[in-house]
Amino acid sequence: MTTAPAIEQSAGAGDARKVSVAQVLVYELRVRDAMSSPPIPASPSDSLRKIQLMMKEHRFSGVPMIENGTLVGIVTIEDIIRALDQGHINDPAERWMHRNVVSLRDHFSLMRAVAEFDRHGFGRFPVLDSDNRLVGVITRGDITGCLMHHLERRAEEALAHEAVLRASRADDEAAQRLVVRAHVRTGDYDSAGKVSQRMRQVMRDRGIDPEIRRRAAVVAYEAETNIIIHSLGGEIIVTIGPDLVVIEAIDTGPGIENIDQAMQEGWSTAGRLPRELGFGAGMGLPNIKRCSDKLTITSDSKRGTRLRSEIYLHPAGAPS
Amino acid sequence: MKIQIPVKSRTLIALLQAEPLTDAVPEALTGCYISDLLSDVLAHAGPGMLWVTIQTHRNVVSVAATKDITAVLFTCGRKPEAEIVAEAEQEGIALLTTPLTTYEAAGKLWEAGLRGENDHE
Repeated sequence: MTTAPAIEQSAGAGDARKVSVAQVLVYELRVRDAMSSPPIPASPSDSLRKIQLMMKEHRFSGVPMIENGTLVGIVTIEDIIRALDQGHINDPAERWMHRNVVSLRDHFSLMRAVAEFDRHGFGRFPVLDSDNRLVGVITRGDITGCLMHHLERRAEEALAHEAVLRASRADDEAAQRLVVRAHVRTGDYDSAGKVSQRMRQVMRDRGIDPEIRRRAAVVAYEAETNIIIHSLGGEIIVTIGPDLVVIEAIDTGPGIENIDQAMQEGWSTAGRLPRELGFGAGMGLPNIKRCSDKLTITSDSKRGTRLRSEIYLHPAGAPS
Repeated sequence: MKIQIPVKSRTLIALLQAEPLTDAVPEALTGCYISDLLSDVLAHAGPGMLWVTIQTHRNVVSVAATKDITAVLFTCGRKPEAEIVAEAEQEGIALLTTPLTTYEAAGKLWEAGLRGENDHE
């Protein structure tokens, strides 16, 4: 491959233009990739009439002449038209064929082939291999067709690759996103910590930093027990994404009368039973606040309380 | 820079006349926190610690697991129900019980060299 660096050079030599796929292809593809093969040659002793019929049958515009396995000439459609016009169509080809044929090598790049077409103005070239054997014929149409074919294939490959990428990305996201959603009942002290336990397990399995895991666990546990102790019932939704854990606690009421007061350590409205069980220390919301990277609480007596806590898994920066 | 020297729990168990309730007993403890308020424990206890409390209901296990607490010591001879012991086993948390009061237990633990994470030496 001597041609690939040439592209890099031309692109790198101050020419910031992107090299198109077609440009790459004309360097990468060889004459042997585009030529019509195997060739259908004729012999110099064949009549021009016979060659005319060959052209008609195969839709050729030129037929190479072979003698003892060697390319000795070419007969083109123009030669046939002249022969018909001047009445020597039944002569043997050797009398009228072009000798000193310009041929291309099968290993030439299409870029070079195009240059040869431009230089000579011919409609076709016979193609020889390195042993001078005739292996095909190439026209400008063959080059165009070959390029179209490869462009189409590249486009299909690109689309298929993109589809695979998209699918694997969706898989990754699904694998990294886990939602635990649980209904929480009022006064169900025995169930406190169920959601938090599942969340802890997932975070441990994922190897998330233990300190971050403990912070998330405190938020989930306190949010859960708040619903059990103070609300008319509600729901905990934990979403573990690639970058952050979101813990949402939504209850149906009765709402927090004064959120500022509830955020003060030691302030609690818990009744006797939860206090006997060790709840109602007045530290729930302060604990949640301390362990959250971002916390929002909205509450009113009609719609209840909504708490949303975010904990970042990569504390160096906010979630991407 | 504070350096926590883990204290061998076998020594402590003997000093406290403690009875292990779970099969697994930790090798060592990094510190201690004493409270009967769950949120207080969530706020102040650290991983690897011993938690001393008189609370014996199942939320003790949840709170201990939440904070990666290694062992829980129930004082005044309190014992949780078998179900709760089983939950602790599952979470890998050791449960112990001692006839001593919380105050007596705290004294012995301190004497043995066990300190809280927030000690001010």
